[in-house]
Amino acid sequence: MRLDIGKMGDHVQKYASDNDMNLKNSFWKKNIRNLPGRASPKKESKSVSSSASTSFDDFQESVSDAWEIEAEDEILRISARECANSAHPPASSCYRNRFPYDVKISKRVAHSAAVNVINNHKASIEEIHKSKNYSNSDLQGESSSQTYKESRHTENRINFSNSEVDTNKLTKFQVLLESNLLQLEDLKKLSWSGVPVEVRPMTWRLLAGYLPTSSERRQQALDRKRIDYANLVKQYYDTDKDEVYKDTYRQIHIDIPRMSTPLFQQTTVQEMFERILFIWAIRHPASGYVQGMNDLVTPFYVVFLQEYLPIGTNIEKLDVSSISKKNRDSLEADSFWCLSKFLDGIQDNYIFAQLGIQYKVNQLKELIQRIDGTLHGHLMKHGIDYLQFSFRWMNNLLTRELPLRCSIRLWDTYLAESDCFATFQLYVCAAFLLHWRQELLEEKDFQGLMIMLQNLQTQNWTDTDISLLVAEAYRLKFTFADAPNHLTTKR
Amino acid sequence: MGTGDEEYDYLFKVVLIGDSGVGKSNLLARFTRNEFNLESKSTIGVEFATRSIKVNKKIIKAQIWDTAGQERYRAITSAYYRGAVGALLVYDIAKQLTYQNVERWLSELRDHADQNIVIMLVGNKSDLRHLRAVPADEATAFAEANNLSFIETSALDSTNVETAFENILTEIHRKVSARQMDSMDGDEIDKVCMKPIRIDATTANTNDSAAFQIKQFCCNASA
Ligand SMILES: Nc1nc2c(ncn2[C@@H]2O[C@H](COP(=O)(O)OP(=O)(O)OP(=O)(O)O)[C@@H](O)[C@H]2O)c(=O)[nH]1
Ligand SMILES: [Mg+2]
Repeated sequence: MRLDIGKMGDHVQKYASDNDMNLKNSFWKKNIRNLPGRASPKKESKSVSSSASTSFDDFQESVSDAWEIEAEDEILRISARECANSAHPPASSCYRNRFPYDVKISKRVAHSAAVNVINNHKASIEEIHKSKNYSNSDLQGESSSQTYKESRHTENRINFSNSEVDTNKLTKFQVLLESNLLQLEDLKKLSWSGVPVEVRPMTWRLLAGYLPTSSERRQQALDRKRIDYANLVKQYYDTDKDEVYKDTYRQIHIDIPRMSTPLFQQTTVQEMFERILFIWAIRHPASGYVQGMNDLVTPFYVVFLQEYLPIGTNIEKLDVSSISKKNRDSLEADSFWCLSKFLDGIQDNYIFAQLGIQYKVNQLKELIQRIDGTLHGHLMKHGIDYLQFSFRWMNNLLTRELPLRCSIRLWDTYLAESDCFATFQLYVCAAFLLHWRQELLEEKDFQGLMIMLQNLQTQNWTDTDISLLVAEAYRLKFTFADAPNHLTTKR
Repeated sequence: MGTGDEEYDYLFKVVLIGDSGVGKSNLLARFTRNEFNLESKSTIGVEFATRSIKVNKKIIKAQIWDTAGQERYRAITSAYYRGAVGALLVYDIAKQLTYQNVERWLSELRDHADQNIVIMLVGNKSDLRHLRAVPADEATAFAEANNLSFIETSALDSTNVETAFENILTEIHRKVSARQMDSMDGDEIDKVCMKPIRIDATTANTNDSAAFQIKQFCCNASA
């Protein structure tokens, strides 16, 4: 079956949801290695170069005719803007610069990869047309202050409104979640571009591998896990704390009260966080508690909290102790287990000397050097060390750099990436850095650069910005992960 | 983002170290932005800020690195001691343990920092009088014995924050000027006048990040 990607992206609503899923399935199955969420399995090995062309060729073959048939203006405009947003040089020159030695990766293929991702993200991209931020570049002067105020207003509020998400998409989720035997891969594909708020708690549980895919076993598993957690609390937390754990407890106790916003200042909430983190730390002695982990609980906590509230509740005004004890216990247990699953893939970030992060920071540096020599040279010239700014990006998975609502959207994608999100995160960080390219190039000294890098202005960001960010990250990964002289092959 | 005050005579790199929660980030916020925040988040890795002040008619720009207090971050943060000419070693006067750990922080500095680094012991949260766990004279004696200067501060009510930074920067300035004088005999003066002197060799790879950079010293002096 030939798949017309251009059409699929543009007329996605016209397909009956089943039909659409089939189309997507057949497409994705064919290019299984390029699925967002799954790194090419050979990527880390040294035999990369030989396999690289194969996967690119596969991809090219599967999409090239679709690309030629339906090169909609609109799509092109979006991807061009996306390019402009991340401030790349015009495509014609940028790929030549980046691949002085490689002719296999044509501009068209790389471009179509990006477009393909964006098409799949149609739902969120559509939001662009509504969003004032993007509606018109020449409007910016006037409207930006207004947009700023609006988002200020909603800053501490988790967006419950579903206006940004295609209702069609919600239906697809519901169909999937209600099926007797869920295909996790289908759920990942669908989730990668963002999960509607109504189905997010259940979707996250499944994506995290916390719940079984068989729908009839789900409730049973959930009940058991919640009891397991209650037992852990009894075993480790309610008893006298072992001397060796006192340090851990002390550190958690120093960090939790420093969580800002009224919600997290509530004693009930702080105690829940303390238990989650303490028990996690005890059960993971190789890493233990590391400052910043509290920020990694937050998205789970907030998403699961939403389950017990009517849609549209402003959680910042919520008194969490008004939720029943039973529900609070469930919320805490779910947050704990999902955090555990989530951190499993990135434990080396938190072990002694944080080698995982040091390694990734190096990878980021090599990657930027390859993608954008100008920016890299600029940073080097002014004595900026990647560790100085990207350590926090990696340690906290960008939670410190983004508003909470954006972190939650980003985690839709991370969770859909499953075991490989650690790798994907590298590309997200790269895309994030490149996003600020122009502003950074305008800074002319170390101090200006450092201060900017520590305070990147994302407070107005919406789901759309994250969709563009991950699409760009995906494009970078697709373009660079398998390319010859891959960064890891240098080692 | 404008960084303002570009003109300076000296650029000194100073690090803030000490246990987690003693108030390093708030001292920095108070000194550089006159802000205080009870819910300031924990520092991840390092954070950076600057401020210029006038000492002995010279403009001194302090490049201050605020480090994360948790032990786990030590491997990362100790890299930032390199090239620092001053360190504020902070403890919390209401928490005995953070004072006990001062010894460990000193040995961290011995291992990773320049041996000429100027160290100031800072007992923060002096506003918490009713909770005081570390007597001031005990800390004074300890500081004397270890050749450190000592001050108690409160980032919350601003007491001594300005003074603490002024003192350490003045002390650094004094040391640097003395060293510079020492090294200037005869011909060398000319050389020094031609270009900025960089005393620290380890980080002197770029203009901006050179930790110990002295601009226009002679030119100003002879003017
Ligand atoms: N009463 C009082 N509280 C303070 C003072 N300075 C800081 N605090 C509070 O102490 C807590 C910790 O302050 P931080 O500045 O975040 O501590 P830190 O040393 O930077 O901690 P890490 O980043 O974890 O290493 C915060 O709740 C501050 O509000 C002070 O002078 N007086
Ligand atoms: Mg701090």
